[in-house]
Amino acid sequence: MGMDRWFLLAATLLAAVGGAWGMVSVHGGKRSHWTVVWMIGVFLCQLGFLGIRGEMRAACPLMDRGEILAFLAWSLTLFYLLVGPAYRISLLGVFTAPVVVIFQTAALIPGTLTAHPAKLPGSSAWHETHSAMSVLAYGALALAAVAGVMFLVLDRQLKEHHLKSGLFKNLPPVRELLISLERLLWLGSGLLSIGIAAGFLMPRTASAWGHLIAAVAVWGGYLVLLGVKQVRGLTGRRLSLSAVVLFVLSLLVFAFV
Amino acid sequence: MELLCLGLNHRTAPVEVREKFAVGNTKLGEAAMDLIALAEATEGVVISTCNRTEFYLAAERAGEAFAKIELRLAEKIQVDSSVAAHFYRLEKIAAARHLCRVVSGLDSMMLGETEIFGQVKHAYGAALDAGATGAILNKLFQRAFGVGKKVRTETSIQEGSTSVGNVAVDLAEKIFGHLKHSEVMILGAGEMSRITAQSLVSRGARSIFVANRSFDRAQELATEMGGSAVRFDDWQSVLTRVDVVISSTGAPHTIVHREDVEKARRARKYRPLFFIDIAVPRDIDPAVGEIEEVYLYDIDTLEQLAEEARGRRQLQIEQCECIIDFELAKLNLPGL
Repeated sequence: MGMDRWFLLAATLLAAVGGAWGMVSVHGGKRSHWTVVWMIGVFLCQLGFLGIRGEMRAACPLMDRGEILAFLAWSLTLFYLLVGPAYRISLLGVFTAPVVVIFQTAALIPGTLTAHPAKLPGSSAWHETHSAMSVLAYGALALAAVAGVMFLVLDRQLKEHHLKSGLFKNLPPVRELLISLERLLWLGSGLLSIGIAAGFLMPRTASAWGHLIAAVAVWGGYLVLLGVKQVRGLTGRRLSLSAVVLFVLSLLVFAFV
Repeated sequence: MELLCLGLNHRTAPVEVREKFAVGNTKLGEAAMDLIALAEATEGVVISTCNRTEFYLAAERAGEAFAKIELRLAEKIQVDSSVAAHFYRLEKIAAARHLCRVVSGLDSMMLGETEIFGQVKHAYGAALDAGATGAILNKLFQRAFGVGKKVRTETSIQEGSTSVGNVAVDLAEKIFGHLKHSEVMILGAGEMSRITAQSLVSRGARSIFVANRSFDRAQELATEMGGSAVRFDDWQSVLTRVDVVISSTGAPHTIVHREDVEKARRARKYRPLFFIDIAVPRDIDPAVGEIEEVYLYDIDTLEQLAEEARGRRQLQIEQCECIIDFELAKLNLPGL
């Protein structure tokens, strides 16, 4: 097994242990102060993986499905590290870690990650911008979906007056969750806009059209959601559900297109 | 040298007795020096709060010191000897354990409350500044503060809100975070509304609107709370801007109906709205709670949450007592 896979495996194990540790703390009614430290470890290992793959490719490592999944997990971790501690949403890490584990485990499934990636001579700058920005955008949108799940859990507990669990005690306030969720949606949509613009400028094969159309559809979905939220307003529950559904749909679309 | 404590509290004495022995915050140092003189002791600290007055002393003979203080206090405050029945007298380890229980909030009316810690610290500081403490009381009080901190960090004795008002405020913070961006409307200018709204204001709520059938009473309460009075017929228009509604009218029927809230939703852009219904019979139709962004809590639910918190605190007492005994066992004090 190459060094790149070892890095990815280490990142996956760290995320799994960090997530489990956080869940146990939260279940016991304590704040999971160490989650951010575990996630920094995850982030460093992801950087190690991407660095090695980047050197192998001599380009941005976004060529096979495994690399895309790992890059997505890295992007998700990056946005968690940017958003979580700043808004003191330490619990975001506990919810993010399992998603990172899922993406990276999928990337580690034999055959998903090319064992000996070929160098890509003369790769287009627009192509790399398109790939990197799109995957970064999905990192932000994934984190928005995570924040949405957190809101839905808290909303249900508040509605049904189930206020005794350690999870309830540790979840951030409703308003802060909704603000973070909306900002992440704006950030993700902004990055996706750049990614799509770059997609139209890059040299395309006929098969890339389907991919680009799917990306535009997803982008349109997010823009409609933000437009409705901005102009008419949306309940927290609908905004959160939409963020989760749109993200899952976009993953499914790209899995098949 | 022996350590002793003479005191009365909310359990042993009614307020009309406690108030006679109360000492002002600024006079605690002076009172500690007077106490030393009265009891012919070497060290003294006077603790005085709304629920207790306690005298801690280091004296040669406890029995004599108790008799002297009781006699001379009765003369000084001009009360008859029957007040002696309200005092508790504790010596050596029992006095030390009592101080640790007081500092930890185990002896408070509201089990686990935290204010007492600061009050005892202030009383000790005043006695220290006045030169009324020495080796024994300094060591005892320092250890008691350490024990108090340990009890609070290692147990859940202070967790959860134990009053309806505080439960409501905690919930408001769980929904809105810091309340500095939140506006509150009170429907009905009753006492419970006032207390709950005051708690919200003390935690930073931005503005208060008071709607009451008697507009004069609404204005009175609004002035007291630094808010604005609203005519009762206009409360629906205020609903579009507030985040929290506290309702406690004496109406025999519901005041807030689902249609009232539905009408305001669009203008509110579907922002979260927290209803606290502390009226009996209830002011808010339970159907209001079915609206997606509305969180509705009535008096029974709030009281139940407060009761559960009180129960959880009760379960912690044994663990707290173990910490106190363990820490006191390490205290090598001559007066014990």
